Amino acid sequence: MIDDPPSAADLLALARSAWERDLASLSPEERQREATLIARCLAIGERTLRSAGSAAAIEQSLAEHFAATAPEQRLERLAAAIRAGTYDRPGPAREGILRLLWAITLRKLALSNPAFAAGMDEGRA
Amino acid sequence: MASGRAALARLIASELRAGGAEIVELRRLPGGAVREHWLVVAEVSGGACAGRHRLVLRSDGRTPLGIGLDLMQEFALLQTIHRAGIPAPEPLLCCGDAAIIGRPFHLTRWVAGEADPERVVAAGPSDALAEQLGRAAAAIHAISPACAELSFLGAPPTDPAMALLAEYRGRLDAIGEKRPVAEWGLRWLARNLPPPAAPVLCHGDFRTGNYLVEDGALAAILDWEFAGWGDPDSDLGWFCSRCWRFSELEREAGGIASRAALYRGYEAEAGRWPDPRRLRFWEVMAALKWLVIALLQRDRFLKQGERSLDLALTGRRAAECEFELLRLTAGEHEKRP
Repeated sequence: MIDDPPSAADLLALARSAWERDLASLSPEERQREATLIARCLAIGERTLRSAGSAAAIEQSLAEHFAATAPEQRLERLAAAIRAGTYDRPGPAREGILRLLWAITLRKLALSNPAFAAGMDEGRA
Repeated sequence: MASGRAALARLIASELRAGGAEIVELRRLPGGAVREHWLVVAEVSGGACAGRHRLVLRSDGRTPLGIGLDLMQEFALLQTIHRAGIPAPEPLLCCGDAAIIGRPFHLTRWVAGEADPERVVAAGPSDALAEQLGRAAAAIHAISPACAELSFLGAPPTDPAMALLAEYRGRLDAIGEKRPVAEWGLRWLARNLPPPAAPVLCHGDFRTGNYLVEDGALAAILDWEFAGWGDPDSDLGWFCSRCWRFSELEREAGGIASRAALYRGYEAEAGRWPDPRRLRFWEVMAALKWLVIALLQRDRFLKQGERSLDLALTGRRAAECEFELLRLTAGEHEKRP
């Protein structure tokens, strides 16, 4: 390991904890919302750093569906296929693509607002 | 804004046919993701309107969203709405002269009440409030394209649902990002279009957060910049969509009540109970619409350089809209893994 600890994710977690515990409450009332948004940015940064590599299964699934397409163009290809009606009919192809769409969406939510998928909401941004 | 204080005072005095006016308080109000709101307290002297006036100044934000009515159109619409007896702030004056405060603005009378959605929802369930909102929605929808005063809204679409679908598809294409889940939603909407409804005036952003509540009752409906001719069920679908229930997901009407309470009020005024099948379509459309708006708001940060935490984080809400698109459109055997 080249980088010195603590990790970037740990530093962000520490910063957020200090912010929420000690500093946010010192902000004037009209800036409390901004204080909440700052904490949310730090949390997204921390979760993103900790999730490194977790998109591998999604990328693998995209590669299986669009093996002949360059990796950076696979999402575009998927979007175009959906628009063209390729997955309109019930069946294994549609079910496979839906699983992939759910995986993409849940991965994004896991970083941005994990409570949302669990039926809760961190609040408006 | 501070530099325009004297000019603003003179304009208010002139509008109220007063001898003079002094701005005694000028304060930016919270909220307003697209437009800015300022509380203006003016001490007016001389004339029939002498006394203290509490007003709200509304102007464009630093970077435009690129959709909706301009301030002048919104002001003209408010005049019609107010005359129709629909609860809304009373419009006072509209100023297109950027020399006064540095940009165009309009002024309305201050209406007391709570608009913060978290606080409105936290106040507890209220069937009475939902019924009042249902009645108000029906009163808005009673205004038809035959209203000559609103000719600036343009010709109504023949098929409001199809027109909106084409608009959002175009906007997503213009944003230039390929989002497979958005395409999934577009495809579902295109294959499930309801029979066209006769277009009526729609608020366009009818939801918790855009109305004022005072002593538990509806005081005013705010933020009319997205109003236009459309399908009346679009407002009800937007109101009931999950993204506007805040922390009270079980209260399906805007986080404040059951759908039945909202529909009861609507039926009392409009004479029809909303069709759940059409509402489902419009709730899917609501998720798509919020997705488009979230991306446009994000691009004010990414592409127009507005350094705003609010705008940056709104872009991160896009995934919530896509979750809703999948949840609402997947068949029973296709639910989330």
